[in-house]
Amino acid sequence: MTVILDGLKYLAYILIFPGFLFCFLSGMLLCGIDRKLVARMQKRVGPPILQPFYDFFKLLGKETIVPSAANRTVFLLAPLVGLAAQVVLQLFIPIFSFSAFRGVADVIVILYLLLIPALSVILGAAASGSPYAGVGLSREMVTVLAVELPLVLVLLAVAKTVGNAIGSGLCFSLTDIVRYQVRNGSLITRLSMLPAAAAMLLIIPGETGSHPFDAAEAETEICEGMLAEYSGKPLAVYKLSSAVKLLTMTTLFVALFLGGIGGGIDRVLMGGTAGGSIAFLIEIAVLFLLCALLVAVCVSLVHAVTARLRIEQIFKYYWTVVTGLAALSLVMAWYGL
Amino acid sequence: MFEKLISESAGKSPWLFHINAGSCNGCDIELVAVLTPRFDAERLGFRLTGSPRQADIVVVTGPVTKQSLPRVLRAISQVPEPRCIVTMGSCPQSGNVFRGSYSIAGPLSKYVDVDVDVAGCAPKPEAVIDGLALALKILQEKSAKRSKAAKAPAAKAEATAPETKAAEAAPEKAEAAPAEPAASTPAEAAPTTAAEAPAPETEAQVSEVPAPEAAAPASEPAEGGNN
Amino acid sequence: MTHFPILAIMAYFLGAFLIVIFGRNRGVRNTLGFLATACPLVLMIALVKPVILSGQTIAYWMGGREPAGGYAIGIALEVDALGLFFGLLIATAVFVAMLYSFSYMSHDDNEPQYYTLFLMLCGGVMGLVLSGDLFNMFIMIEILTFAAVALTAFRNTATGALEAAFKYLVVGSIGSSCILAGTIMLYAQAHTLNFAQLAAFLPGHLNRATVIAYALLFIGFCTKAFLVPFHPLAADAHGAAPAPVSVLISGVLTKSGLYGIIRLSYILFRTMNLGTVQFWLVFLGSVSMFVCVTMALAQHDFKRLLAFHSISQIGYVLTAAGLATALGVSSGLYHAMNHTLFKGLLFLCAGAVLHETGTTDLDRLGGLSKKMPQTTVLFLIGAFSISGVPPFNGFASKWLIYQATYQKAVESGNIGFLFATITALVTSTMTLASFVKVTQSVFFGQLPKEYENVKEVSLGMRLAMGILALLCILTGLFPGFVTTYLTEPAARAALGANSYINAMMGSGYAESFGLADTLPVRFVSAGVWSPISWLCVLMIMLLGVCIVAVASRYDQVSALAASEAVPAPAARYGSGSAAEGKYELFYGGEEAVYSQVGGEDLFWGFKHNWRGYFRFMHELHSGIVNDYALWAVVALALAMLYAMVIL
Repeated sequence: MTVILDGLKYLAYILIFPGFLFCFLSGMLLCGIDRKLVARMQKRVGPPILQPFYDFFKLLGKETIVPSAANRTVFLLAPLVGLAAQVVLQLFIPIFSFSAFRGVADVIVILYLLLIPALSVILGAAASGSPYAGVGLSREMVTVLAVELPLVLVLLAVAKTVGNAIGSGLCFSLTDIVRYQVRNGSLITRLSMLPAAAAMLLIIPGETGSHPFDAAEAETEICEGMLAEYSGKPLAVYKLSSAVKLLTMTTLFVALFLGGIGGGIDRVLMGGTAGGSIAFLIEIAVLFLLCALLVAVCVSLVHAVTARLRIEQIFKYYWTVVTGLAALSLVMAWYGL
Repeated sequence: MFEKLISESAGKSPWLFHINAGSCNGCDIELVAVLTPRFDAERLGFRLTGSPRQADIVVVTGPVTKQSLPRVLRAISQVPEPRCIVTMGSCPQSGNVFRGSYSIAGPLSKYVDVDVDVAGCAPKPEAVIDGLALALKILQEKSAKRSKAAKAPAAKAEATAPETKAAEAAPEKAEAAPAEPAASTPAEAAPTTAAEAPAPETEAQVSEVPAPEAAAPASEPAEGGNN
Repeated sequence: MTHFPILAIMAYFLGAFLIVIFGRNRGVRNTLGFLATACPLVLMIALVKPVILSGQTIAYWMGGREPAGGYAIGIALEVDALGLFFGLLIATAVFVAMLYSFSYMSHDDNEPQYYTLFLMLCGGVMGLVLSGDLFNMFIMIEILTFAAVALTAFRNTATGALEAAFKYLVVGSIGSSCILAGTIMLYAQAHTLNFAQLAAFLPGHLNRATVIAYALLFIGFCTKAFLVPFHPLAADAHGAAPAPVSVLISGVLTKSGLYGIIRLSYILFRTMNLGTVQFWLVFLGSVSMFVCVTMALAQHDFKRLLAFHSISQIGYVLTAAGLATALGVSSGLYHAMNHTLFKGLLFLCAGAVLHETGTTDLDRLGGLSKKMPQTTVLFLIGAFSISGVPPFNGFASKWLIYQATYQKAVESGNIGFLFATITALVTSTMTLASFVKVTQSVFFGQLPKEYENVKEVSLGMRLAMGILALLCILTGLFPGFVTTYLTEPAARAALGANSYINAMMGSGYAESFGLADTLPVRFVSAGVWSPISWLCVLMIMLLGVCIVAVASRYDQVSALAASEAVPAPAARYGSGSAAEGKYELFYGGEEAVYSQVGGEDLFWGFKHNWRGYFRFMHELHSGIVNDYALWAVVALALAMLYAMVIL
């Protein structure tokens, strides 16, 4: 009996709350907020907030063309794997004191899971056989390479800081990192974590491939790059997973640096005891607001005020400025500042 | 319900693919003007896309030169259904000043079913937006028909067959322009390059120039009004 | 039971000699080859129970000459969990390579000679890892080196084969000479060649002479493992050798070098508790993994690229093994095993491509996935494994290596180890990048006209690749099983030298020298990773998404609608070319042409920023054997100097 109930619970996790439905709704909404904000920043009216939903459903209704030069299986399967990995990633990121799957994956696994959606687009692009996609995938891979180094440093810095604090010297478990923050306040309040948080803010647009770092999907020069041959449903799935990626990256930021807010909510509402369904709903709402705020700051604002970088500029930027920030944070964390 | 959702969405999320079939670049610039803050077609969900595979509306400018014809047709054939073909400016409709030239294969409607014609040389952005809005309605109808066909597979042959030729968005202006003889419009005037992907500057302008004042008043063609 | 080790070695050598005599007939030859490689595999698996599960150490004295009076004079074989771990790896890789050879080599001349050399090489490596004394180890190294040189030049009509073999011969001989010199110096000091006795004697007698011997042996084994100053040899050798031989060189021969380094440092000299030696190993490993992965990114030949990756992965193993913690050694050995599996698989895939198309040039290939779908899938499994994509095996071992290096850094408070973690993580992404390059350049993208008639490779070759791919997935899905039953016992054996000594010399022998083991054998990892539950979640997700995709019924309708809508304009146009364009690739409206994006310059954006480094590397790798010999000598001098200073 309990097995069945547990099974149902986890199925609900996967399909509804931190899983598919939640990802779908909030990812798309974040995407819409981003487009609206960019438009407002450029003194335009902008599309409706629900625009990404329209785009998604429209694409579902379109014809799907598989080019004859493409490897059909990989071409059609790649977007699905990417989306699944993206949602699984979201399942593993704790939302304040709630985590759907604990003891399954840690920070390093998350680092690698972040690679899978990018890898799936790359493989899909390669399978399409288009030369535009070829150029696009090479740029995407370089972007992934560029972002990877600072991201690694940020995660190691966080692991070291929390590890120092809880006494084990090292903590890779994201659940523990968040739980520590819920009890002891957010990491961002520490001096040593400030550069890491700044670096993470700069990583988010790179990882989501948004504006100054979107050389891989440059629609004006290489015809949408990797997605050049995608149409209809697979394209809709790609658009969905890139929207979920916005949610994932911002949730990851909240989990790494702002986890203490959950503790604050618990204290205010429950007088210090964690839990309760109202507190939980409020936590979700707060999480979403924080994500939207992060999107506004590091995706929309950056989008509105910058022009696209060339691929080697992206690489240089990440391996100098952002890596410098992250490394500074790691060194400070190392010496216990 | 799902079908309804899809056909509703189809009218709210038009992605444009722009083909230059030998245009003088006047219309191309006007199309960009449509997406600038002043007119902001993105409020209707418009978005320029770089690949025909992702497009719903194909905007063709230029008089369809013989060189560009196969390219135009190939690009159009690569657009998935349901799709809408919009001609912009008088050139693809009549040939405009290039009419009669040995290098012109147009008008476009000889080869494909054009859904909306936006006349003008070049058409005002308001006219373009109006035409595109009309194309949206047609797109929605087509999508609804596809949905119906999906519901009743037996009836789909009839449902999807004819491309609805829609009303003209703006009064035809083609003949008003001086129809020069071929000799006076040398072939070089119409660039013979292939149908290009949207001009690289479009997206950049949208995002970087907040309010270009030049768009509407300066290039206003007297006849190409809004309807 | 005690005879199993010698039987395993003898099976290979016996097979080699029998093939010389009876190998004219193909059937006889293949049967002999199969038996000669299958028997050791069975014997090794039979040894798992006593050695790994019950923790025995099997000592075998040839001719029954057991040690007397505390001196071991006879020739000995000794199998502990470490030796058996490597023995199992070798037997598996050799067996698969043999299966593959049957159809892969069937078009070559001189097949009997090939199988003879092949089995000599295998026997040499097996003898090396099971050997219980230093001089026999040297003899085995000589056998395997010369067999490997001959096999490298086996297709001596191919460009560069003789050159590669010559380079290998020169530098390999330098390495062998180092090992011989080190052996002689140790014998002069300790008056014995037996491992156990040496291991008891040496830790208390680290004087100038033994330390120089350590450096000599260390460099000697480095040449066998192709670690960094010796890596150009590997590229040449792999580029020239037939694919199954590449599997042997990367999966088996480099492992023998690694085994030597681990045996030497952990058991013979017990120098691994010194921070300076740990630093030396970790530094060498990190440099190897980074330099070789960047070299791989610059390659435009499939097999050379794989060769550089091979060294890069060996760098991971050395880094982890240099940590001297239970987690470190265990993760290093795990990666060594994975390396044998996925690198073998990748080399076999490269061989399949070469077999069908006649080239491994990345700039000339493309689009083979349509012609060789199964090879493509197998290749992707190998590529994901080596790049550490979860849930394949490369991820499991790399994950442990990151934990181990970072934990070591935290425990020792030495920030230097942190660089090893960061290098390992970045190298992993670069590995992924270069395999994306291979995937795009060889299997995806566009098919060149000349390869229209390419077919899938024969069943025997696919079977060999399939075995390795299956093992890649299994070892990735059950990391707990692998660490508990394979790598942890081996790590315990590496860290627990006393039991090794006592098994051979009689109990209490090690303690009489005042040696004690201080072993933290169990380890806790700082993170969590459970591939099965993770995979379940992914599968459910994927299933759900697939159902949704299938449930929407638009595809059939659009196909019908398309068939009506598109021909109409084309018919009016007359030529009909436009309608065909629908399923062509989009070229900005142009007609489809062959324009493959791939090959060397795929990651321009990355290389542009590193152009100084790449130019430097390009000039450094001159391809002249004199230079490489000079590198070897310089490395030897440096190692000796370092050893003199620190020990």
